[in-house]
Amino acid sequence: MSQTTSSTYGSSPRPGETTWLWLIKIVTGPLLLVLLILHLTVNHYLGSSSSGLMTYDDIIRYFQNPIIPAIEILFLITVVTHSLIGLRGIVLDMNPSRRVLSAVTWLLSLLGVASVIYGIWLALTIASIGA
Amino acid sequence: MHNTRNQPSARRFLSWFNPIGRQTGSWAFILNRITALGLTLYLFLHLIILGRLAQGPHAYDSFLLLTENPFIKLGELAVVAAAILHGLNGIRIVLTSFGVGVTRQKQLFYGFMAIAAVTILFFATRMYMG
Amino acid sequence: MADKWNITLRVYRQKENEAPHFDDFKMEVNPHEYVLDAVERAWAFHDRSICFRHACHHSTCGACGMRVNGVEKLTCITLIRDVTHDGAALKVEPLRNFQVVSDLAVDMTPFYRKMEAVEARAVLPVTEAEIETPPSSWDADDALHLRLSDCIECGLCISACPVAATTPEYLGPAPLAAAQDQGLKRKPELLSVVDCEDGVWRCHSAFECTAVCPSFVDPGRRIMNLRTQVVGMRLRKLFGKA
Repeated sequence: MSQTTSSTYGSSPRPGETTWLWLIKIVTGPLLLVLLILHLTVNHYLGSSSSGLMTYDDIIRYFQNPIIPAIEILFLITVVTHSLIGLRGIVLDMNPSRRVLSAVTWLLSLLGVASVIYGIWLALTIASIGA
Repeated sequence: MHNTRNQPSARRFLSWFNPIGRQTGSWAFILNRITALGLTLYLFLHLIILGRLAQGPHAYDSFLLLTENPFIKLGELAVVAAAILHGLNGIRIVLTSFGVGVTRQKQLFYGFMAIAAVTILFFATRMYMG
Repeated sequence: MADKWNITLRVYRQKENEAPHFDDFKMEVNPHEYVLDAVERAWAFHDRSICFRHACHHSTCGACGMRVNGVEKLTCITLIRDVTHDGAALKVEPLRNFQVVSDLAVDMTPFYRKMEAVEARAVLPVTEAEIETPPSSWDADDALHLRLSDCIECGLCISACPVAATTPEYLGPAPLAAAQDQGLKRKPELLSVVDCEDGVWRCHSAFECTAVCPSFVDPGRRIMNLRTQVVGMRLRKLFGKA
């Protein structure tokens, strides 16, 4: 009962951290809509030789155009960032302790960086197959 | 007063999910979270499966045959629907976050959901009849 | 419209260390009376042990907030005819996201403490108030006139908020609205209070607060505005202009 209000509220370890996370999420959101429409149009309408999904040969051929891996990599970075920040927000609602929360933050950051590296490697591999 | 910060509670955590006794804005929030979780799961599955591309044409094209399965197709439609719902509701969140239409957030929600319904129907007919 | 309705008032009952249950009180009411009148009648003529908070009876004190048929209402201004009909039930429950002290009375202490943390104003100069049709210009001494703050600290917004349900530490709609009301420009020290995980960023735009607010505070809109204030301030700090 004797806790002072100032120590109970506003006790985030790194002030401003959430501001940036929120800002990134709200900016990547609309950007994602644009990129997703691009991603889907390219993959399902422009790139496909048949009416269905792109086959292996379609994709290899399509990745020869350097704009395609560029768009895909940008899309990947944006979507991974947006989704992992969102996931952290959901974890917050589980009332984690400070220690658990920072562990989760690190884990999600690691997952994000790993999946982006993997994605870039994959895009470059596909591009190099057809070269 | 005890510090509740360090007391995770499953009941509390799941309470955001309960639509009973809630109104439009909360339903939008619940919908946004469920679609967010679904899309995140799909994102990582998608990344893993695309890894087959590095293993050559057979590995990828044999997997592609699976997409003819009606259940997989239904799953695909669910992903498309989730993306549309999440995206359109997201526009509403961005608008209201910057002070646009805050007092009209309910109407915004129903408007965007109407657009979402039409778009999902369009994609569903394309997928199953196109 | 008939002036006498027979309703069943279902009152949430919970005394210390007891499991909660509902007590039914059949009573005759005038549909144009308020829900609080029915609760008072149950207390006066049926069961003197019913515990509930009330004071002013005209939506100024903010004491009589309850959930009426599941929805947060200020019972002193909620007409019976608007929430039930003749021969039907009327369920009253304590606010959510608060500890029940006894029956319909909850412990508001954590909420009041949060209002103190953001230095919420009880009164404000009339020149700073959000008035529907403000005069074209204020006189020099108009700023001397004070006006009661719109927020009556009834706690309905905290009860309705789905995020407050997950985290008791969340500042909540009314305290965030009170911070916005003062403005971060005028009170930069509030930045560290609201700009944290349990502060302004915790809101998930469910707008339940605005839906139940009986006093035109519109906390949802104010939280959104507070966010742009915080972002602006952080950006200025980043570029060394604060």
